[in-house]
This record gives sequence, structure tokens and C-alpha cells, in this order.
Amino acid sequence: MISTSAGIAIAALLALATAVSAAPSAGEKLAFDRGKGNCLTCHEIKGGDSPGNLGPPLADMKARFPNRADLVAIISDETKRNPRTVMPPFARNHILTDREIDAIVDFLYTR
Amino acid sequence: MLRKLLFLSVMMLAAVRPALAADLADPKAEFKAFRDYFTSRFPKVPLDDFVNGPYSMDEGLRKQWQEIEEFPPYEFAVDKGKEMFAKPFANGKTYADCFPNGGIGIRQNYPYFDTKSGQVITLELALNQCREQNGEKPFSYTKDDMAALTAYMAFTSRGKRFDIKIPDDPRALAAYRKGEEYFYTRRGQLNFSCASCHVQSAGNHIRTEVLAPALGIMAAMPIYRSEWSGMGTTSRRFTSCNSQVRATPLPPQDELYRDVEYFLTYMGNGLPVSGPGARP
Amino acid sequence: MRLPISLMSIASVAVLAMTAMAAPADDFKAAYAKAEAASKQSAALKTQWTTTVATLKAAKAAADAGKFDEAVTLAKEAEVLAEASIAQGRDEQGAWKDRVIR
Repeated sequence: MISTSAGIAIAALLALATAVSAAPSAGEKLAFDRGKGNCLTCHEIKGGDSPGNLGPPLADMKARFPNRADLVAIISDETKRNPRTVMPPFARNHILTDREIDAIVDFLYTR
Repeated sequence: MLRKLLFLSVMMLAAVRPALAADLADPKAEFKAFRDYFTSRFPKVPLDDFVNGPYSMDEGLRKQWQEIEEFPPYEFAVDKGKEMFAKPFANGKTYADCFPNGGIGIRQNYPYFDTKSGQVITLELALNQCREQNGEKPFSYTKDDMAALTAYMAFTSRGKRFDIKIPDDPRALAAYRKGEEYFYTRRGQLNFSCASCHVQSAGNHIRTEVLAPALGIMAAMPIYRSEWSGMGTTSRRFTSCNSQVRATPLPPQDELYRDVEYFLTYMGNGLPVSGPGARP
Repeated sequence: MRLPISLMSIASVAVLAMTAMAAPADDFKAAYAKAEAASKQSAALKTQWTTTVATLKAAKAAADAGKFDEAVTLAKEAEVLAEASIAQGRDEQGAWKDRVIR
């Protein structure tokens, strides 16, 4: 027979566990989806496995890209800034919609 | 005084004039620049090792390659190819009748520019031409029969140094240029050129796969690829690279693909035949 | 002899209904034709994307299943992809020369 305090403790632990293993955001799903952003193929991102290294690791994003528009521009068409880039132009070539890019940027700002 | 100033400024402008896009060097000079680019970028890699592709890119990978070579996964293909090569056609002739030196130890001379037909002849194309000339149906360029034949022919040529020639014929140079253009042109929804991965990103990895340097990249063909659990001809590799960047592939052994093979193999001249190869 | 009114109203409702149904199918036919033409052009230029072909295929499948709104959307998407691939080919003309290792 479980005591009331033990019961409360268990409930609290369960709530904490649920919060910690919360479902990935829409942006995270898009970023890790091979058919969408597929970011891990070239970038190391916390929470993702077996990343590639064609591009820099995506960390400290808020500090490195304080201007959101800059990050959106890079994902949309990095060839504008760097004609030699190997980064696909996700907006220009209609790989991602603008809404999807926004969601990914939201996610990246948590990294 | 004014004339002197004018003269000086024209000379200065000429000195700092950026190289025009049209200023392409001849193939010999481009060959040297290509080789120097990779040897200076990867100074620890002995020149001949470049033919091992991703395995040449670091010591740990090289050890992996050596272990694989002890029980080569392409052995079955070589054995099958040897059998196929020896078996006569219905008309009594054999593959040996189609090739110099009976087809043994000649891989390093392919592809070549055939001035008679005005096109690049690759080993795969030559094999099917041989079949058709002798009343046999051609093999699929992307499947195991072709892979077995080319695996055997590569195996008999191991160690021989690639010696691709560009004859003094404007059509041959044009084929080289078309292959070169293809190699450096972006394509597919993902916007990659061959150079994006095999020049700019050589030695880096996409997910866990290390990208091979373009120098000597044809030397190990055909390859056994673990990812495919089987053999892959040059045609299979070219078409699959295209689809990976979401570009509709050309038909196998399309003239443009043969031009690419011509350009790339020429760039690897002097390196040893290492095929058939094993890759992740 | 005049048809009974009930029969006439049924007939006219049926005709109206058939006209309303025909429009989306026609919309799809038009959209698909445009997209297919663009896709074929990109193939002729050797700049076709696999995604263009796949999207066209999906558009046809949706239409075959009677999902015309979805089919039209997909057909229009395929056309956009085909046009983008043609633009890519145009932009890339001559661009390779600067990239040659020197």
C-alpha cells in the first residue's frame, strides 16, 4: 500500500520525466528529417546522431546569429553570401517552405 | 609625361586584371594543378594512396582498408568475371578477341578517345560493343554481369599506371572539356556539383561517410559497396550520385557520362589501377 | 408532351452537378499539362530534378483517386520545381570555368 507522500513523489517524478522527454518540436523534426532539412548530414547538432562535418557545428546559435534574418537567409540561399558554398539553397530550390525554415530557425535558436 | 602615366596605368591594370573565366589551361597543365591541389591539401597521403578513396584520408581508415583487403568482398565478382571472360560466345569467339593483349592487363588504358567513331570508349562500353558485334545481347551497365567482367579486367591490371591520352584531335579535347564542365557544374535540387563533394569536401564526412578525393577516384572501379551489399559499376556509381543530389540521372554510358569518366581518369594518370575496390 | 416537372428538376440538378464535377478535373488536366511540359523541357536540357518527376507522379495518382484539389496543388508544385531546375541550368551556364582547379 503506497503512502500519500510516496504517491505524490512518484507523480512528481513522472511529470518531470514527461517534461524532460517532451516530444521534439516541429522545427527539430524538420531539421532531422532526411527528406526535409536533413541538417545532420552536414552539421553537428545537439540531440542528433552521426552528424557530418561539411559545415560547422550548429551551437551557440543565439549568440552567433543575433539577427534572425541572417539565419533565415543562410538557410534560404547561402550562395548569395558565399557563391562557393556546398549548402543547398533550401528556399530557392523549394526544398523547404518559408514556414518550415522559420520552424527550423526556432529550433536552432534552442541550440 | 601624360603618355608615360597612361602607359604605366595600362600596364598596372593589365597586371591586376583578374583571370578571365575563358582562360582555361591545357589538359596537361590542369592535370598538374589538380594533382598539386590534392597533394598539398593532404600532405601526409602518399601519392599512390589516393586511389583508396576515403581510406586514404586518415590512418584509422587506412587500417580498416587493409583489414578488408584480407577477405575482399569483391572476390566472388572477380571469380565470376574470370569464368564469364573465358566462356566463348555462341559464334565461338571470346572477349579476348575484342581487346588488345587478349583483354589482360589493359584497364589502365580506358577510357580512350576513338578517333574513328569520334567518341570516348569506356571499358563498359567496349565490353557491350564486343558482345553485340558477336551476336550477343548487351548487359545492363548497372548490374552484376558487367561488374563481374570489369572487376576481372581491373584485377588483371592491378598496379599498372593509368595512361589516358588526349590525341591531337579537337573532338578529343572537346570531350575532355565537356567532362570537365559536367564535373564542376551544380545540378539536382540539392545544388551539388561533383566537385562540391569530391574537391571542396574531400576528406570530410556526410553523416558517417567519408568523401573520397577526386584524384584517382576512378582507379578502384568497379567497387563492392557495403551500402549496396554488392558490386557497383562506374555507371551505377554515376547514376546513383546523380539521384542522391536529386538530379534525374542520364542513361548509363550516356556520351556525357563517358566524357566525365574520360576527364576524371585523365586527372588520375600515373596512379595505379587498384580495382576492383571495396567501399563502405 | 411535356415531361413531368419532377423529372425535369431531377435532370437539371444532375446536369448542374456534372458540370460542377467536370471543372476540377479540367483544372487538373490544364495544370498537369503545363507541369509536364516544363518537366520535359528540363529533361531535354539535362537539368531535370528527381523531385519534379516524383511530384508529377503524385499529382497523377491524386487525380486518379479523384482528389482533384490535391492533384492540382501537386501539379502546380511540379511546375514550380521544373521551372526552378531550368533556372538552375541557366545560372550554371559557364559558371564551371571559374571553379576549375588552377
